[in-house]
Amino acid sequence: MNKFVLAIIALLCWPLAAMAEDVAQAQPEKTTPTGVPVQPYEPGIESSGYVWNEMKSEKLRALRALGDPLRGEIAIEICQGCHKSGAQGRPDGSYPRLAGQHDTVLIKQITDIRAGRRDNPKMYPFANAHVISIQDIADIAVYLGTLPVTPDNGKGPGAGLALGQKLYESGCNKCHGDKGEGNGDKFYPRLSGQHYKYLVREITYIRDGQRRNANPKMVEQIKPYSNADIEAVADYVSRIPPSATVKAATKVSENKPAAAGKSVAAHVATAK
Amino acid sequence: MKKMLQNYLVKTAEQFKGCSEAKRQSMFGVALAAALIAFPGGASAGEAPQVVTAVCGGCHGADGKAAAPMFPHLAGQYNVYLKKQINDFIDGRRKNDMMTPVVTAMKPEDVGAVVDYFSAQKPVAGAAGDAKLVETGMTFYQEGNSDTGVPGCVGCHMDEGAGNKQYPRLAGQSAMYISTQLANFKSGARTNDNGSLMRSVAAKMTEQEMNAVAEYLASVGK
Repeated sequence: MNKFVLAIIALLCWPLAAMAEDVAQAQPEKTTPTGVPVQPYEPGIESSGYVWNEMKSEKLRALRALGDPLRGEIAIEICQGCHKSGAQGRPDGSYPRLAGQHDTVLIKQITDIRAGRRDNPKMYPFANAHVISIQDIADIAVYLGTLPVTPDNGKGPGAGLALGQKLYESGCNKCHGDKGEGNGDKFYPRLSGQHYKYLVREITYIRDGQRRNANPKMVEQIKPYSNADIEAVADYVSRIPPSATVKAATKVSENKPAAAGKSVAAHVATAK
Repeated sequence: MKKMLQNYLVKTAEQFKGCSEAKRQSMFGVALAAALIAFPGGASAGEAPQVVTAVCGGCHGADGKAAAPMFPHLAGQYNVYLKKQINDFIDGRRKNDMMTPVVTAMKPEDVGAVVDYFSAQKPVAGAAGDAKLVETGMTFYQEGNSDTGVPGCVGCHMDEGAGNKQYPRLAGQSAMYISTQLANFKSGARTNDNGSLMRSVAAKMTEQEMNAVAEYLASVGK
């Protein structure tokens, strides 16, 4: 009888115990003394047991959300101060071009920054949960994917294009495509139309382990690259005409639930 | 309401150790409260509500064009923004020893009329300032500072400080008011910005950048 009562009490307390665990896991938000949110830290490629693009928490929820390009056009205001009007970024490489990027890629990067898997203390105050919701992320990503990519991106010096092409075609193209178009279903970013200086910076970060949400396969691939190799391949890819790879505006409808859902499903399938 | 006002007066008296200063502030509060009691009621369309002429107008101008550079122009400001600020003064999210007693004494039904009135007034036209500072400020307004991670203001506050329903209009605003607010966001004296956005921006701005962008904003707007 006593055992029975104890079992009942234990069962009743179970949800409380589970709740306590949730609370214990939630990290308190860090802010500066004036209340500016500080980017959290989550282990990335530097940690053992790192899983690239693990489908969890905000990433999963943003991918599942039904992105609306109309709402995205409004929500994007906050991004324009740095990424400029039309999300064209800056040729000096300080801020990347986002226009025409795959929505899945954008969702991955924003949620990785929010979680602290990709270090970006400058962006964090403008992309944290106080500023944009998970729905906003989905809306912004879908809207950005519909924006045209123009050929006026920043280019390199043009000195090592033959080397750049050779390097690109001996590996990069397998994931990023022959025309640098990337692959949204696999979260591989579009590279064509991107600013040269941004590409150099990020490829270097990936090679050196500073971009902590990087794909280990890519880190392995570019490990032997010298700085000159990186500059050559970035220059080559920055010169691939983006016009050939621009996503048609009609794709907006395809980006709605089916497409986003497919991306998640496809990834989950490949992960198994 | 009366109790809140009393509390405010006690608090003000504590804050200002100089007796004459405390007295001056208290009297200001009492005078305003008296004015609010003396001039109740709403307004008919187009005309200034009585509370505007009796209270707000003293500093902000009866037409929303402020009488002195330390006070913000309210003419043409988005009513959603004005309403938020009034509510924040009442709730203590924005702190200002002059504004809090005034808006606390205001009838809740007057707030809507006041903000709609000021919002409908013709905005203040920009006034030419120090040309070099204006130019530096314009560049900063558009580009921000990518080295320190300050976004261009234009992203949210729109071309030439026009603002929108989410972000206030800044065009033609008093340079002194803008630079003071930026400094307050930086020091943490002002913390009622949505999502800590302006605190994030101002934290990374230099005093020179604040002054330049303020000079630019005071110069724009027709």
